[in-house]
Amino acid sequence: MSYQEKKTLASITSGALLLAAYCLYAFNPANTPADLKGWATTMLIFIAIGIGATIIIQIIFHIFFSIGVAIQGKIQNRECDDKEIEKNIKLEMVEDERDKLIEMKSNQVGFAVAGFGFVAALLALVFNYSPVFMLNILFITFSFGSICEGIYQFVLYRRGYTHA
Amino acid sequence: MPSPIVITNNIRKLRFFANEMTQQELAEKAGASRQTIIAIEAGKYSPSLEMAFRIADAFGVSITEVFAHEVKEK
Repeated sequence: MSYQEKKTLASITSGALLLAAYCLYAFNPANTPADLKGWATTMLIFIAIGIGATIIIQIIFHIFFSIGVAIQGKIQNRECDDKEIEKNIKLEMVEDERDKLIEMKSNQVGFAVAGFGFVAALLALVFNYSPVFMLNILFITFSFGSICEGIYQFVLYRRGYTHA
Repeated sequence: MPSPIVITNNIRKLRFFANEMTQQELAEKAGASRQTIIAIEAGKYSPSLEMAFRIADAFGVSITEVFAHEVKEK
């Protein structure tokens, strides 16, 4: 599995963990916020936690990935020095036009799911559902969109992308 | 709509004739990642014109010696 595929999996994992944590916390009767302000605060806190968790997971991923490349380098060639290991790590992390294209294509999926969520949230208001319900639709579909984006990105890396 | 085009390549053959150049060496010369070279060689990615020229330059041949196209009949 390539660096990009592993990075994508790390990103899907952090997104899924955030969504699961939000659902477990917010829909637990003991923690359910009382009013709209409470829900907004909960969501803001989870957005902040999500950003922090993503950064931490990416840092941990990069550390483990670098260690993995170093160990592999040492197994293949016992006499390889730190400079060579550093070069191998850099080479594994190279990003080029294919990565940008795949990222762009998967962003489209993320935006489509988020757009669908936005319309669903507006429809919920039109059909007299509470603003809390609307906020939850927005938060959950945006988070789910980010997960779908990651999954599609992973699929494109595995399957390939040929323009046709 | 025009018929779809399938792009084929001779990268594996050209690497063999270039003293069994590794995918990593070609990636470095073409300014791409090794994964991209693997994907191009396997026909899983069609590179941009710019990268196609860089790959051809890495072998010192013309672009038509590296890439060819076939029109798929509908």
